[in-house]
Amino acid sequence: MRQRSLIAITAALTAGALTLTACGSRDDKDKESAEGGGTTVVIGVDAPLTGDLSALGLGIRNSVELAIKQANAKKYVDGINFKMEAADDQGQPSSGQTNATKFVANKQLLGAVGPLNSSVGESMQKVFDDAKLVQVSPANTNPAMTQGPDWNGGKKVRPYKAYFRTATTDAIQGPFAAQYLYNTAKKKKVFVIDDKKTYGAGLAATFKDEFTKLGGKVAGTEHVNPDTKDFGAVATKIKNSDADVVYYGGEYPAAGPLSKQMKKAGAKIPLAGGDGIYSADYIKLAGKDGKGDYATSVGQPVEQLPSAKEFIANYKKAGYKEAYEAYGGYSYDSAWAIIEAVKKVVEDNDGELPSDARAKIVDAMQDVSFDGVTGKVSFDEYGDATNKQLTVYQVKDTTDPAKGWKPVKSGTYTG
Amino acid sequence: MNAVGPVEPGENTYAQEAAAHEAAAPEPAPPARRGTRHRRTAIAAATAVALGAAGLGLYLTRPEPPPEPPPPWPSQSVSVTYTGEMSRPRAGERDFTFAVTFTQASGPPVTVRQVAQPSASLSVRTSPGPPFTVKTGTPRKLIITMHIRECGEVPRNAGLPFLEVTLRNARANERQSYILGPEYANDLSAALSAACPRTRVS
Repeated sequence: MRQRSLIAITAALTAGALTLTACGSRDDKDKESAEGGGTTVVIGVDAPLTGDLSALGLGIRNSVELAIKQANAKKYVDGINFKMEAADDQGQPSSGQTNATKFVANKQLLGAVGPLNSSVGESMQKVFDDAKLVQVSPANTNPAMTQGPDWNGGKKVRPYKAYFRTATTDAIQGPFAAQYLYNTAKKKKVFVIDDKKTYGAGLAATFKDEFTKLGGKVAGTEHVNPDTKDFGAVATKIKNSDADVVYYGGEYPAAGPLSKQMKKAGAKIPLAGGDGIYSADYIKLAGKDGKGDYATSVGQPVEQLPSAKEFIANYKKAGYKEAYEAYGGYSYDSAWAIIEAVKKVVEDNDGELPSDARAKIVDAMQDVSFDGVTGKVSFDEYGDATNKQLTVYQVKDTTDPAKGWKPVKSGTYTG
Repeated sequence: MNAVGPVEPGENTYAQEAAAHEAAAPEPAPPARRGTRHRRTAIAAATAVALGAAGLGLYLTRPEPPPEPPPPWPSQSVSVTYTGEMSRPRAGERDFTFAVTFTQASGPPVTVRQVAQPSASLSVRTSPGPPFTVKTGTPRKLIITMHIRECGEVPRNAGLPFLEVTLRNARANERQSYILGPEYANDLSAALSAACPRTRVS
């Protein structure tokens, strides 16, 4: 009997030890896979999931999905199970508006993240605002979207109460690029090109305004069709000008080939642009002559933010095959801002969603404040992010496009 | 005497006893007692090994206290704001002053190693002069004297002027541009225009 007891005790202890050893990892797994019950709240995400801009769009979608999965795993809002509904706008305003209408029709959908393009965002704002459905863009940078058409010099008026964004605006991005190119890179004559779209034309205008105020000269201006990939005529004009830098207001599908063709034509000067060209795909398209080109992008480099470490690790762990790209951290924070607003509304209503949840979530969003991937997340009276940081990047290496952009200067707006 | 005395073994007495013993105890007793001892020893040893292994397993997988998080990058904890008080130079004067305030939201102290501005036509000096320390909860006011080097090149109408600040803490040495906003831009523009009017006063 004594021997049998000893064997039993040993077995029990060993089993116990093994169980304890395994506990941590199993708990984590259970948490990750937890779906939870309760009320379903859908968060929509609209971005270009196909087409030329899909690299940025898929990074947005994946990052929103990651935020939703983590909120569910943590059971962050008691009694609420979040789900994502993704819609592809292909970078087209008409598609964006159709998607916005579809989101509004889904009664379970209480907030939307997106879109990437300012022109697409403009087509969605009224649809969402009429339905009192909150929209948080991680990437729209056109100042007029939050401050009205007279933002520059006139009176700032917020056009839509339901619209928020986590990205810094072109009111800062363009001038910051101008300051860097004029003062630091010592560029004095610029050839300014834009794609005639809301984002590109607006960004080029804010750049040009500051560059000339600093004393810089404009060697030429051009407008191009971003759907055309043949920039031979413009490349020749650039070569024949005495510009020492080109500034392009637009996105990488056109900027990459433009950089390549102008250098091939003999204009061995750098191309600079905004967050629309800050992508590994730009380096792929521009080729080895893209080395030395510049881009500004919203925020501090995500890799430098301690708050982003966990996001980067979780994104990697989730196994997404597409990179989180320029807007991953901002997309995660946009989705989390909606989750925070839902949490506030549910808690203020005895743990249940009120019948007018959408309107209450819009109100709650104004007071949201949390430490996100990109730093402190909160919104000012216009719906703009209060955390206004941005960075100048330069292409330092073209052999591995994913690692080619390197930060050369970061700024914080404290005005 | 009817007393029964000890019975003396008779003939075959020992032989019968031996046969009876053989039938009753097929295995000899002493070897059986040795086997039990070995088994007990083996089980005890196995128990000790198992307990040791379990203990080692628990030790190796014990929850460790989370490592101390590194301090934030200095630019993520320090803020620089324009406090105003910009002096208005007269035409031809080359210096004017204004104030900024350094604040730190959280984390260990940050050393301000340099304060500069981007234009080649201007230079700055500060009071107190760098290096100086900014601590959480204790804002630090800095008086900046802007010196005009070359009137013809000053950015008299910049929309987004900024200060270049070099910060250092235990995490990193970092150079950050602090864009002080429209009030600073307007005041700076006014001061530069006053000091360097279009019609030069020499």
